[in-house]
Amino acid sequence: MERNVQKNGLVNLVAAVMIFIVAFVVTSYVNSLAGQACAIFLGLGVLVAFAGWFQMRLQENERLEKLEFEELARARGETTLFAAKDAEIFPAQRARAQFEKFFVPGFGVLLFLLEAGAAWLLWRWISKTDNGIVPDRAMASLSLFGILALLLFLLGRFSVTIARLENHRLLRPSASFLLAGAYICFVTALGIAGTRAEFPRVDFYVARALCLLLGLMAAEMLVTLLLEIYRPRLKGKIARPLYESRLVGLLAQPESLFTTAAQALDYQFGFKVSETWFFQLLQKNLPVLLVAQLAVLFLSTGVVFIEPGEQAVLERFGRPVGVLEPGAHLKWPWPADRIYRYRTEQIQTFVVGYLSDAQSESVNTILWSVSHAKEDNFLVGNRAPVTIKNEGTDTNDLFKAPPVSLIAVSIPVQFQITNVMDWAYRNADPTNLLQDLATRAVVHFLAGVDLNDVMSHSRQEAAQTLREQIQATANAIRLGAKITFVGLQDIHPPTPVAADYEKVVGAEQTKLAAILNAQAQAIRTNALAGARAFTTTNVADALRQRLEVSAYARAALFTNQIPAFAAAPSVYRQRAYFQMFAEATGRARKYILLVTNTSDVVIFNLEDKIREDLLNLNVPSSPNNSSP
Amino acid sequence: MKRNAMTIVIGAVLVVIFALLLFVFQVRRSEVAIVTTFEKPTAQPYDQPGAYFKWPWPIQKVYKFDQRIQNFEGKFRQTFTADNNNLIVTIYTGWRISDAKLFYPKFQGSVPAAQRILEGMLSSAQNAVIGKHNLSDFVNADPKELKFDAVENEIESAIQSELSTNDYGIRLEFLGFKKIELPESVTQTVFDRMKNERQKLISKTENEGKAEAQVIESAADRQAAETIANADAAATRIRGEGEAAAARVLPVFQQNPELANYLLRIEALKQSLNQRATLIFDERTPPFDLFLNFPTNAPGR
Repeated sequence: MERNVQKNGLVNLVAAVMIFIVAFVVTSYVNSLAGQACAIFLGLGVLVAFAGWFQMRLQENERLEKLEFEELARARGETTLFAAKDAEIFPAQRARAQFEKFFVPGFGVLLFLLEAGAAWLLWRWISKTDNGIVPDRAMASLSLFGILALLLFLLGRFSVTIARLENHRLLRPSASFLLAGAYICFVTALGIAGTRAEFPRVDFYVARALCLLLGLMAAEMLVTLLLEIYRPRLKGKIARPLYESRLVGLLAQPESLFTTAAQALDYQFGFKVSETWFFQLLQKNLPVLLVAQLAVLFLSTGVVFIEPGEQAVLERFGRPVGVLEPGAHLKWPWPADRIYRYRTEQIQTFVVGYLSDAQSESVNTILWSVSHAKEDNFLVGNRAPVTIKNEGTDTNDLFKAPPVSLIAVSIPVQFQITNVMDWAYRNADPTNLLQDLATRAVVHFLAGVDLNDVMSHSRQEAAQTLREQIQATANAIRLGAKITFVGLQDIHPPTPVAADYEKVVGAEQTKLAAILNAQAQAIRTNALAGARAFTTTNVADALRQRLEVSAYARAALFTNQIPAFAAAPSVYRQRAYFQMFAEATGRARKYILLVTNTSDVVIFNLEDKIREDLLNLNVPSSPNNSSP
Repeated sequence: MKRNAMTIVIGAVLVVIFALLLFVFQVRRSEVAIVTTFEKPTAQPYDQPGAYFKWPWPIQKVYKFDQRIQNFEGKFRQTFTADNNNLIVTIYTGWRISDAKLFYPKFQGSVPAAQRILEGMLSSAQNAVIGKHNLSDFVNADPKELKFDAVENEIESAIQSELSTNDYGIRLEFLGFKKIELPESVTQTVFDRMKNERQKLISKTENEGKAEAQVIESAADRQAAETIANADAAATRIRGEGEAAAARVLPVFQQNPELANYLLRIEALKQSLNQRATLIFDERTPPFDLFLNFPTNAPGR
């Protein structure tokens, strides 16, 4: 019996290695995420099986060494050998002790690192990867994982039973790994079957669960390593191998959970809870309860609730048998009947020419000249082709620029599914197809219109035309959708030229300002001219009045002067003369010459005096006149 | 015993489920299936929905394909028009598996492989057809000149012909332009041209404003000048009227012309001396002749 334990360990090791290789190959073949995690678990099992087998070998060598020593001692009857140190006498014992002292903790650390690393890396990888199960290979892989599960189960169950025997303790870690590996292979197979049953995410969730299991195993190993430092070492007491996982053991033999739970409850309540009828019933009928649960789960697939706003296509063995309206419905259980839900009442929306991002969504002010999302520039017609004379040549060749311009548009398209059967069965990806059709309609429409027209007066017509075109195309390929709205909510020149378009508006304002300014100037000019004309005529009027009145006044005066003159002509004349003389020369400068000698010559300087400040004025000298 | 019966029932159910999975396969309405026996396709494709019997793997294998219209979008590819313009074009297509029995061996049942073939045909047909058309056939402000649909039809015909000639087992249902753009460098020149167009418009608008302002101002100036000229004329006329009115009293002065002339001379002298003047008189000028009899001025002294 003692010899068999090593063989069992070796068989477990070889089986673990082979099953690991097969599982790895099958996983790569089918591309299963759960399979990856399963292969890692089986790989860890290989390491544990190897450590167990190696330790068994060391123990067996030690046992043989002891037997040989005892045999030798009995035959010779000598005691000198006992005088020597144990290390010299029992090399196998020393090797085993060294193994347990150094290798096992080191192996424990290695296991911890591998488990933690695998859990972390695998979790990250399955979160990012787009890999999925290859459908054509799912059935074969499913079968192979089923076979592996069966093989592991048989071998693991046998090993677990053997491990209960005395001196077979070291077989338990690998046996637990094999048995737990059987269940994991089974779960992996279920994940692949889920994909076959149109539940592609099952494989992903199984992989996630296995990652968690690896993480828990790593945590358990870390705790075990820490506790190992403080574990009391009692001579003669066989220690539990450090690499034996209690978690894996529990997974392999869940029935042991009942024993542990019973003990805990007994301790907690102070009486034998484990001996109550309920606990006994639960323990006995747990498998039946689990099966009943599964049966209920299976039967629950015979009831379906269609949400408001939804319609569902009901398929029986792949054949559509009807459309289910909102409410509760009975159907045959899976896999006979399946339903496919569609949001037929909901108005769905996509946008052509505009790819929003989080930053653009948060912006409240949308300007032409500031890029507010990823915008596509569409080609648009240009009614006035630009012709420029080629300056480099003498000929009259004209360079004709492409009659195109560019425009950025954001066109929301809203639609509703009206014929769910057409929507489901005519096109593989109807939503994307509708987007393609709408984009094509926009490209086509813009290519045939003038930039300025579409940006101004024909905008509303454009939205209507686009809606009709998209609807017509969708109807032509029986898409089963109604286009409820198409809007040209944002249509503008591309961002690099938007500022120049704004400047045109500025120029219009400048033009208007210049005209208004000129009008104001004109009003002022005309008003002043009117005033001046009024003044001129008034002055003339006043002059006329003065002339006339003055003439009459003079005439009257003269009439009165005549008698006076006739009365004393010379006196009147003299009087008039002296009156005038006194009045006119009162302020004039006068020189009166009282001549005594007629031969004298008198010289008058009649020049006006120059103001003194003018004489003091400094005049800059001209360079030509400068003297040396 | 009761427990054994339960176990047997559960086992039987599991066996039935497993057997169903192994021996039965379903074909959805959207699918078409090919069954191979030892990798050799058998019978006709299963293109009608329902449940069908098959021998378990590895004897028979089932390959299912989606027989609905599949979307495929070609690469964003640069091409040349007949009038030497560059365009970058993306074409979307709708295609379907028309004969699964032909499709399966030709593409090993791989949709991506079929789409790769389709991509090649699309690229070739697109270059050939677009190269025969001018840019104005794709973009034109006059919709009647646009040949968008015709170009699409030509490309579709070319691909359809290629597909039917080689019996690929797939059929092109429709295609259309999803994107038509200009290369980046050309796009930049179009932007420049659009900017210059705007600059031209800005200049035109601003200078129209200046011109109109000038017209308004000059009209105002002309009107003002006219007003002033009219006013001046009126003033001259009024002054003339004043002169005429004043002239009507001249006969009064004719009663004593000597006195009138004398008064006029005195008045003229008075007016002329009204300004700054320096007068030099001798002692004989009245009233300074009074100085002649003064003793200090006696002659011969």
